Amino acid sequence: MSTAQPDGEAGAARPLSPHLQVYRPQITSVLSITHRVTGAMLSIGIAGLVAWLAAAAAGPESFAVAREIAGSWPGLLILFLWSLCLVYHLLNGIRHMVWDTGRGLGLKQVRVSGWAVVGGTVVLTILAWVLGAMVAG
Amino acid sequence: MVEFRLPRNSRVRVGKAHPVPQGSARRIRFKIYRHDPDSGTGPRLDTFEVDRDTCGEMVLDALITIKSEMDSTLVFRRSCREGVCGSCAMNIDGVNTLACTKPLDDISGDVRVYPLPHMRVIRDLVTDVSHVYGQLASVKPWLRSQSAAPEARERLQSPDEREKLDGLYECILCFCCQTACPSYWWNSETFPGPAVLLQAYRWVADSRDEAGDERIAELDGADELFRCRTIVNCTSACPKGLNPARAIAEAKKRAAQSHR
Repeated sequence: MSTAQPDGEAGAARPLSPHLQVYRPQITSVLSITHRVTGAMLSIGIAGLVAWLAAAAAGPESFAVAREIAGSWPGLLILFLWSLCLVYHLLNGIRHMVWDTGRGLGLKQVRVSGWAVVGGTVVLTILAWVLGAMVAG
Repeated sequence: MVEFRLPRNSRVRVGKAHPVPQGSARRIRFKIYRHDPDSGTGPRLDTFEVDRDTCGEMVLDALITIKSEMDSTLVFRRSCREGVCGSCAMNIDGVNTLACTKPLDDISGDVRVYPLPHMRVIRDLVTDVSHVYGQLASVKPWLRSQSAAPEARERLQSPDEREKLDGLYECILCFCCQTACPSYWWNSETFPGPAVLLQAYRWVADSRDEAGDERIAELDGADELFRCRTIVNCTSACPKGLNPARAIAEAKKRAAQSHR
């Protein structure tokens, strides 16, 4: 599928026109890059989950330390942001799956579903934490 | 390759300012990307102040006014001035569109005009599109069939079959979508891009074409068809209201089915 650059040496000397520097951020591109960033954050977060499980496996003392770190203010903040990433990536992933069936790709549908993902992420993340706090008492 | 910053020879510096002659009641300011390959100084951003009451209604009208009244060295492509030829595609107010169908009244503040993004600039707003034309030719955008043509008449289509081409055949190859796509910015050597994929699918969807499976097989692959990440900047840029993202989704479905 590759075609050679036909403009040769002159092409190499020609300036590249501005791209990211000038293109207006839109809900399409912003939610796309957010999907990628949240995916990367989730991958990094897996390391924390493994550390948590390893601490639990190692015994009650190390598990108590892990609980203390996770329950501290910085720990809770990171967990909150991680859960935000998780919910966003999940909801936007569903959006992508619907697109892959060929549906929902009208420009208006794309914008509406995009804002629905943003709103749903905020609502579901807060709901999860409220429910969690209620269960934890 | 992903390269967020512009190369050193491509960074844009502040250029000349051309104020409007005194006496105009309403004025708008244009910031226009300029590049003169003979200057040896690289691209710059010139400022032009234009009388809103005499410069016309569309961005292209104003560019023509600037060229004829203020700076005859300003270079841009234009032809039909009514959105059917695709020549005056450029980045206006941050989004790719046709200058001839973009009303000045749709833009608030300064009118920022750049060439189509992430392309090699020949001069001012004129970019080198020969690579895109090469990619277009590589998908063989014409009818391919083995069966003998019916005698003394064209290959017929039912109204339903013809309807499947709506939203595909209207493409004018302005490449607004192509150069709005970040995947294309970073992978233009291998990724066909939204305009070329829409053209390829236009023939896959054509009931008279008999090379559909072959076409899909040629596009199939992680660096080709599936380099599309469904960002949908293409559809949001198309000045003809077409939907490259949907055409690509349909092509991906065909490719996925062929894997079974």
